Amino acid sequence: MKMAENALTFLDVSAGYRHHKVLDSVSFSLKAGEFVSLIGPNGSGKSTLLKTAAAFIKPLEGKVELFGRDVSHLPPRERAALLGIVPQKLESPMAFTVEQIVTNGRVASMGLFRPATSSDHDLVERAMIYTDVLAMRDRFFGELSGGEQQRVALAMVLAQEPKLIMLDESISHLDINHRNEVLQILLKLNREEQLTILLVSHDLSLSAAISDRLILMQDGAIRAAGIPKDVLKADLLSGVYNCDLQVRQDLYTGALQVSGPIEGQKRLSPTGCRVHVIAGGGSGIELFRRLLLEGHRVTAGVLNLLDSDAEAARALNIEAVFDQPFSPIGAPALERAGRLSEAADAVIVSHVPFGAGNLVNLDLAAEALKQGRRVYIANGISGRDYTSGKLATQKVEALFNDGAVEWESLHELLTVLHENQK
Amino acid sequence: MDISRESRQRRVLKTDMASTQQRVAVCADNRFTKKKPPLQRLRLVLFLLAVPLLLIVSLMLGPSGIGFPDLDSPVGSAIASLRFSRMLMGMMTGAALAASGVVFQALLRNPLAEPYVLGVSGGAGLGATVSILAGASLALPMSLPVVAFMSAVLTLLLVYGIASQGSAGQPSVYSLILSGVIVSAICSSIIMFLVSTASVDGMHNVIWWMLGSLQPASTAQQQFSALLIVGGIAGCWVLSSRLNALVLGREMAHYQGINAGVVIIVGLLFSTLLAATAVSLSGMIGFVGLIVPHVMRASFGPDHRRLLPLAALGGGVFLVICDAVARTILAPVEIPVGVVTALVGGPFFLLILHRRMKQAWIA
Repeated sequence: MKMAENALTFLDVSAGYRHHKVLDSVSFSLKAGEFVSLIGPNGSGKSTLLKTAAAFIKPLEGKVELFGRDVSHLPPRERAALLGIVPQKLESPMAFTVEQIVTNGRVASMGLFRPATSSDHDLVERAMIYTDVLAMRDRFFGELSGGEQQRVALAMVLAQEPKLIMLDESISHLDINHRNEVLQILLKLNREEQLTILLVSHDLSLSAAISDRLILMQDGAIRAAGIPKDVLKADLLSGVYNCDLQVRQDLYTGALQVSGPIEGQKRLSPTGCRVHVIAGGGSGIELFRRLLLEGHRVTAGVLNLLDSDAEAARALNIEAVFDQPFSPIGAPALERAGRLSEAADAVIVSHVPFGAGNLVNLDLAAEALKQGRRVYIANGISGRDYTSGKLATQKVEALFNDGAVEWESLHELLTVLHENQK
Repeated sequence: MDISRESRQRRVLKTDMASTQQRVAVCADNRFTKKKPPLQRLRLVLFLLAVPLLLIVSLMLGPSGIGFPDLDSPVGSAIASLRFSRMLMGMMTGAALAASGVVFQALLRNPLAEPYVLGVSGGAGLGATVSILAGASLALPMSLPVVAFMSAVLTLLLVYGIASQGSAGQPSVYSLILSGVIVSAICSSIIMFLVSTASVDGMHNVIWWMLGSLQPASTAQQQFSALLIVGGIAGCWVLSSRLNALVLGREMAHYQGINAGVVIIVGLLFSTLLAATAVSLSGMIGFVGLIVPHVMRASFGPDHRRLLPLAALGGGVFLVICDAVARTILAPVEIPVGVVTALVGGPFFLLILHRRMKQAWIA
């Protein structure tokens, strides 16, 4: 087998569902015989990528190639002989036995008229031996535990004899013994049969340990790809997963360990600082949530009633100043918000669009800056400035000149807040 | 298990598939794979023995008396031939309905699915009603089954079209069932309307037909229907391994190299053909298409390669027995066979399902 052959190639593929594009011009390739892990936060498009690779979703743009052949023109049977997918969860409403389920792996190659031959039986049997489900062959699939069902699903895909297997978070439900066993099977097939494997996984440390390469996805695009050491970088991961992550290398084994913020949580002071948030139009919801989680005391305003940020502030019990819906902010409300803002240690301006109605909110930030308190303003103001004459952009530029800090990602902002608090 | 040895042998197997020797070396004689649970095999043998017995019993039952009619007398041979053709009618109708039910339940992954759920019978019934009221069924011998099938297919297309709206051309199971139920309801109210405005004669004909009866149709219609039913069941049976895969869901079936959309459409067409033929042959007979597949699945497992022919056989025999009871029990009055299927079959099937449902459906 030529090692240089590409098992899977994505060429500028955009794909998704109606009204909702998930993958945005994704390009990458898997070499035949590689073991690659696909990592990324929930909703970053990992499952969609798998579905697109198997032609279950047609790409809106671009081309997917399986072993050099355009997957959209590949007959289903030939596609199944190249690519097998182990789903997150296999569901059978009818009471099939384990063996009947695994036999499904042979369905395409058996054709419509040819009955199962003894080589089909052999393949089914071998797949069941590999995955340690032979003993439960006559039991009902639905009665098995989640981990056992996952092994049956893997057996079914192994019986299909594909050259590339994709596992969609299939091993996360397995107990530690069977997870290691399944991984050993996969590694063995990878090593001895040159089976190409793409593993979607949330266990970053494990992925790093077993994979030749990692592919990191964020918001439907590939953020980084390469050997584990190059992808598992604390700042990169922290930005992608939007939380504080550390990467350590084990002194003895050299294995990379990714650890999350929970470990550090205990050290956070229970009463953070007091921040005043200027938001609107839904731009503040995530900000509120994360600030509260970090232990800050949050105030907000001025918000227009019925605005989704106003609803969120109420739901989260945030002290906030409200004004009439769909109307310019009045002086009394602004004055009340000014008092809240004065009591805060810092003022944060979210990615809120500015129009004539809420422009005065920026005066709160200007006032705070004048009094020597810190002000953080979200980047890209010109893109959400709807005032005539770009008044908001001018004001923000002036604030930046006076010492306001520009922020881009939430994670970055929270880190800065945290450091300043110390 | 020494996996490394296994996999080395597997490579040999791959490079030399033709050699049976190697294959045997991998796994002695498929001794695990070939084995069937003995209880299930016993059940199968009992069932296959019961089929001819029950058919013979059905020939002995009738309003003219219990026992075989005297074939030497002209009356006796007439009765025997009548009973025999009713048996054939029952076999055809029951087999068609049960096989159609099996396919619908697999394609829709739903235990409530039956031949009538996608509006198929509603459409066939509407077509047949129009055909009866217009008197066309008398003028042209084949018009009833043809019109019933055409209108059933039209209804199916309509249901499929409605269900596909807003789902990128691939209707979900739930939208299919929902639009099927709605279209079905519309069809039955149109039938009601037509019946209520029809002449007394036409009304009588339609209602008599709707109640369902195994009165032998014309020989030509029987032969034509037999052809359609055998063809339909064979067509469904060819799809049976695909049905197994589709039970795991459209996405999984796709990954296993099955053209799920085509299988669903072809399967729906075949099962519609079966249901429409049954309706045109014997009217609306309920219960067979819903319950017989469940009982057969509970008894013999959900593998469609076995289930489909067994369900067809079981449906046929069940309907034949019900018809024999219907014409005998209140003789000389004949009660509609649909009444018997539900009254006699219901409790019996409930008993079986209660004990063995676990082996048919998970939920």
